[in-house]
Amino acid sequence: MLSMKNISKVFKTDLVETHALRDFNLEVNEGEFVAVTGPSGSGKTTFLNIAGLLEGFTHGDYFLDGINVSNLSDNKSAAVRNEKIGFIFQGFNLIPDLNLAENIEVPLRYRGFSAKERKRRVEQALEQVGLGARMKHLPTQLSGGQQQRVAIARALAGEPRFLLADEPTGNLDSLMARQVMELLENINQSGTTIIMVTHDPELARRAQRNIQIVDGQVCDFTMYQPNAARSASHSSVDKLVANAQG
Amino acid sequence: MFFYYLDLAWRSIKKTPMLSALMIMAISIGIGITITTLNIYKMMSTNPAGEKSGKLFAVQLWSQGPDAWDRFDPQITYQDGFNLLKSDIPRLQTPMFRTGGAVQTEDPAFLPVLQSRVRVTNNDFFPMFGLEFQYGQAWDDSVDQDARYEVVLTDELNKTLFAGKNSVGKTIYFNAKPYQVVGVLKPWAPSPNYYDLNNGAFGNVDTLFVPYSLAPIEEYGSWGNTNGWNYESINNYAQRLTSEKHWTQFWVQLDTPEQVAEYRQWVGQYIEQQKKLGRFGSPKADVQLSDVDQWLAINKVVPEDNKVLVGLSVLFLIVCLVNMLGLLLSKFLRRAPEIGVRRAIGASQGQIFAQHMVEVSLMGLFGGLLGLAWAWGSLMLLTKKFDLESSLTHLDTSMWLIAPMIAILAAVVAGIYPAWRVCTTNPSVYLKSQ
Ligand SMILES: Nc1ncnc2c1ncn2[C@@H]1O[C@H](COP(=O)(O)OP(=O)(O)O)[C@@H](O)[C@H]1O
Ligand SMILES: [Mg+2]
Repeated sequence: MLSMKNISKVFKTDLVETHALRDFNLEVNEGEFVAVTGPSGSGKTTFLNIAGLLEGFTHGDYFLDGINVSNLSDNKSAAVRNEKIGFIFQGFNLIPDLNLAENIEVPLRYRGFSAKERKRRVEQALEQVGLGARMKHLPTQLSGGQQQRVAIARALAGEPRFLLADEPTGNLDSLMARQVMELLENINQSGTTIIMVTHDPELARRAQRNIQIVDGQVCDFTMYQPNAARSASHSSVDKLVANAQG
Repeated sequence: MFFYYLDLAWRSIKKTPMLSALMIMAISIGIGITITTLNIYKMMSTNPAGEKSGKLFAVQLWSQGPDAWDRFDPQITYQDGFNLLKSDIPRLQTPMFRTGGAVQTEDPAFLPVLQSRVRVTNNDFFPMFGLEFQYGQAWDDSVDQDARYEVVLTDELNKTLFAGKNSVGKTIYFNAKPYQVVGVLKPWAPSPNYYDLNNGAFGNVDTLFVPYSLAPIEEYGSWGNTNGWNYESINNYAQRLTSEKHWTQFWVQLDTPEQVAEYRQWVGQYIEQQKKLGRFGSPKADVQLSDVDQWLAINKVVPEDNKVLVGLSVLFLIVCLVNMLGLLLSKFLRRAPEIGVRRAIGASQGQIFAQHMVEVSLMGLFGGLLGLAWAWGSLMLLTKKFDLESSLTHLDTSMWLIAPMIAILAAVVAGIYPAWRVCTTNPSVYLKSQ
């Protein structure tokens, strides 16, 4: 469903040119759960932002559901984001002035759903993340793990087919991280394609497929392996290689 | 969606109350000053003649000799007014001038009151300038032919003399002569009092109307201007009536452009005829017809200063807006991370832009309403402290609409750049920094 061909992304500032992605190629199929790892600064977030149409790119082609989305207008890419894509961020990024229900409602508002439909979806999404009773709470009244679950509910409310998560557990302790991971697995099982950037090899291993980005390129990808130990050693070797290159 | 934006705007305003108050204050002061000057300007420049404005014409004649003043005088001579009345082209036409004197009722207990705004005119005056009667009517045509002592009172004077009761048929004394009241007008106060601008354009409406046909008999003095261009020895009223002095106004109603052309031609012939009699000695001898708009412009009813004042206040408003722009920019950019999230989860640039436009418009609306209050206050102050004519300082109802509209427009203008900045910034910049 997602296909990137020879994507490259260059950030130009006054002093330097950073090649965040170079000749980046990736295919992700419908229903996959892909974990992305890689050293800091290797281009993971850039990849996710491009995949989520938040950022353009310098060269290459990007197909989403078979449609070339390389040069969409702002209106069209906003609509694609709204309908097909859900975002989850490391910092949760809930809007502090809005209560939980209102936060989850935001994408539904932009999509023009009726009040009734919005209410139904908000309730359903909150139920799904186990926070049904807290509709009127403000984000600051929740723990980090709960906030991230609200953010996931917000991403789910639009019933996206495609979930992009940038270190969703980065700010959480390991217990909360596991809960969030379980939630994502459930969501994946119900058919949503997920791409998750993570630093945590443990969590990455639980994904169906791991890819590693090093220096703006997909360095290696390993299909789901039942033998976790082998996979772990494999990725630590990659890390050594990456560090040597960096 | 609009109501969603409105809700967000309201929350945003409440969230930073000081900053919002500062911005609303900035707009309101600019609007207050602009509306104050605009209101005075508007009151000065309104055309009170309404739809008849293009049909009523002030008649001016270049009857002076070659070495006299080099312009049309606002008034004409009595004899020309007398002669012009012979034309049957205008549907209505009236010569007139202002006089004054003591007015008294038959009640011996009533002390005479001085009326300095008495109009000597014929009965065409009333339909021509749209005066309506609450009691009785104008004197009839025969009075304009053969003088009778009849008068029309304004509502104001009728209140003074008869406590506002129907006084038709009653007798009043004007300069100690008895006149019969035939009509009482409904309240009437065109502002500016365009039909005679000689004594000031505002707050100068007449209170009593007496027949023009009585002028030669009663020898009413002119309480307006008299202009002369040559030496004439005038020893009595009859000589004044036949002199070359300019002291009467003359208005005609011409309903179509054809009538205007026809009338112009008729007066042209009259001038030719008068030249043969040795009058109208200047090569520039001519007639000028001005409709009400032209008449107000010729007489500079709106002083040049006033335009400058409006201009200055608009400049001041711009200064307020530049301030607001700076405040908005900092406020909006501080909110950029939230906007990044909204963009990431599906808001288009247009939707973000619209959200901010609604917010600035709402502030504009508040600023406009507050500005209206400032304007009302400052106009009150002007009336009290500087004794400005109250017809000028009355806050025109149109300002209720104009003030919020200008305020919203101004706020939108100030908000465009900040809103554009937030909605075009790449959302990923803020998301990454988290
Ligand atoms: N907006 C930007 N302007 C300039 N350089 C950037 C920008 N965003 C990212 N980069 C650079 O691109 C590279 C990849 O960044 P990023 O995708 O955030 O890495 P990761 O998420 O893997 O840590 C880094 O070297 C980073 O400094
Ligand atoms: Mg990153």
